[in-house]
Amino acid sequence: MIVGEQKPIAEIKDKVSSYSRLLILGCGTCVKTCFAGGEDEVAIMASALRLAFQKDGRKIKIEELTVERQCEDEFIKEAATAIARNDAVLSLACGAGVQMIASRFTRSPVLPGVNTTFIGVLEKQGLFAEKCMGCGNCILDTFVGICPISRCSKKLLNGPCGGSQNGKCEVNSETDCAWQLIIDRSKSFGQMDKLITYVPPKDWRTSQAGGPRKLVIEDHVI
Amino acid sequence: MVENFKVVSSITPEPVKIEQFKPKITVFHCFNAINSIADSDNVYCDIKGIKMPCSSITREVFLLRAFEAGADAVVVMVCPEGSCRYIEGNIWAGKRVARMKKLLDEIGLDGRRLNIFFIPQRDQTALNRAINQTMDNLVTLGPNPAA
Amino acid sequence: MNSGKLQEVLSQGKFAVTAECGPPRGANTEVIHKKGTLLKGYVDAVNVTDNQTAIVRMSSIAACTHLIQMGIEPVMQMVTRDRNRIALQSDIMGAYSLGIRNILCLSGDHQTFGSQPEAMNVWDIDCMHLIHTVKNMRDEGKDMSEFELDVAPKMFIGAAENPFADPFEFRVLRLAKKVAAGADFIQTQCIYDMARFKEWVRLAREQGLTEKVHILGGVTPLKSARMAKYMATRVAGITIPEAIIKRMEAVPKEKATAEGIKICLETIQEIREIKGVHGIHIMAIEWEDKVPEIIKAAGLYPR
Repeated sequence: MIVGEQKPIAEIKDKVSSYSRLLILGCGTCVKTCFAGGEDEVAIMASALRLAFQKDGRKIKIEELTVERQCEDEFIKEAATAIARNDAVLSLACGAGVQMIASRFTRSPVLPGVNTTFIGVLEKQGLFAEKCMGCGNCILDTFVGICPISRCSKKLLNGPCGGSQNGKCEVNSETDCAWQLIIDRSKSFGQMDKLITYVPPKDWRTSQAGGPRKLVIEDHVI
Repeated sequence: MVENFKVVSSITPEPVKIEQFKPKITVFHCFNAINSIADSDNVYCDIKGIKMPCSSITREVFLLRAFEAGADAVVVMVCPEGSCRYIEGNIWAGKRVARMKKLLDEIGLDGRRLNIFFIPQRDQTALNRAINQTMDNLVTLGPNPAA
Repeated sequence: MNSGKLQEVLSQGKFAVTAECGPPRGANTEVIHKKGTLLKGYVDAVNVTDNQTAIVRMSSIAACTHLIQMGIEPVMQMVTRDRNRIALQSDIMGAYSLGIRNILCLSGDHQTFGSQPEAMNVWDIDCMHLIHTVKNMRDEGKDMSEFELDVAPKMFIGAAENPFADPFEFRVLRLAKKVAAGADFIQTQCIYDMARFKEWVRLAREQGLTEKVHILGGVTPLKSARMAKYMATRVAGITIPEAIIKRMEAVPKEKATAEGIKICLETIQEIREIKGVHGIHIMAIEWEDKVPEIIKAAGLYPR
């Protein structure tokens, strides 16, 4: 899923302070699963902001609404009336959702309440970790299922580097060295010798480096 | 955080009174910890009790809404460590209270208005002490600035 | 100039000596002149680092050119952290045109360690790709798009290896991979754990790698017990055995530098006796003035 973290409340308070009617719009998909912007998080944020503004003696009316996901028109159009009757929308969706709202509701200021970070997994309860960087050309089989593009701090295709120590990355001692993981798993498959094979440079054209990407499904378009 | 989990035994069970105002205290309590908040002896505050079948029902948004409704302090009363009937309920409640205390600090309401107490089953003295400790806090904190 | 002195010394089967020079954090050429003057004549070539530890310094290619103007042969270090393949190939050609004959290919330290951690990193290619690229440019006269170059840069290609990093069993495999990609010489991380280094060389020898690549063992003289402890705990990829730290702690402060140099000389002597190791690479960071003394005491002067 896409993982994000809520912005600090002080930063959000700052962003919304000039509005007297605010809609906090949540999203029920990715940000709900990482507890950044689902219905529950919308409720907590609304309550916290009300308290914060009340304390300052400021009147602000906050409306709460959550849609299934903000990256699809089908769902965000349900928010149309709520958006129209408020001065601004604080979207707790990922960056994609925020932009979708902004492009559909062109007359409403849209503010982001979440910092979108990575494509990842729920590794275990309470722990989300980055796994994929969307390079556009997946060769995970070359690396026994561990991606060095997203999980090696240096994107090495022929790693590890000299800074790998005790299976941890030099950048953060809590980060596993992806290459150590690749070596270990290769070993468990009896394929250590495959690691001597030179992996050639990546063609980055399929990644964001080649420009913002699109996907068109022809048979869905009339 | 530890001081929130134990009622300080030096706190007198005699009811505390605050001259300047009559505090509103909302108590979320697991019914295994205390039967009814009406059992509290302190007449110098307005206590509102919300009974939960387990302290894990403590939801962050309810704690905040209690402050929105005008509470000067919010208290969560749960069973002591290791005695939760549903094993982990009190642990989850503790974590959520900790997070909301931090949030209250960040919005300037002061996290000390929200506390969690371990109350041995139906222990009247512990209950009174918890309320008195809350009243003591309120002497410093004053009424809810967002009420 | 076709091949440099370093290549000549090694191909003649002689024991090579290289040292290191860090460029200034500014445009001050005096710093390079000073360091160059100290090292000239005592080493076969001088490595010039490339924004080492991601601290912004004068470029390696520029500093190398200043050394050439002083009559000193440089080894241009190149990291792939800051520049994409376009810029790297461009600099390889430029370097050769300026008289640079040796390149050391590295991935580079992560930018979060450096003076500008907010910077974006590049790592378009890794050091293995860089070695391969320089080899192709030299031997086929082509760049990465197979374009035929107008005068091929004929570089002597180096790489770094760290016998002290994990996983140990993989370090020899990686050495083999670098040799296959085109490395002509290897400079290792500084050696304190002689046992581990010897083991690594033995495994390399067994695989025939010492016949295919020239290994130069890294040495760094210790200045103090504090430095030893700092390096052992805070610098990634450096292991210092307890025994050495104890030796440094055992001597009074005024005698520390002498003890550090003594240990360094012992290390050099041991390295000279290892079959398959063809030289040393002295990294006397901010202590370049000690290099002549060390080279002389090690019996490696004149060159």
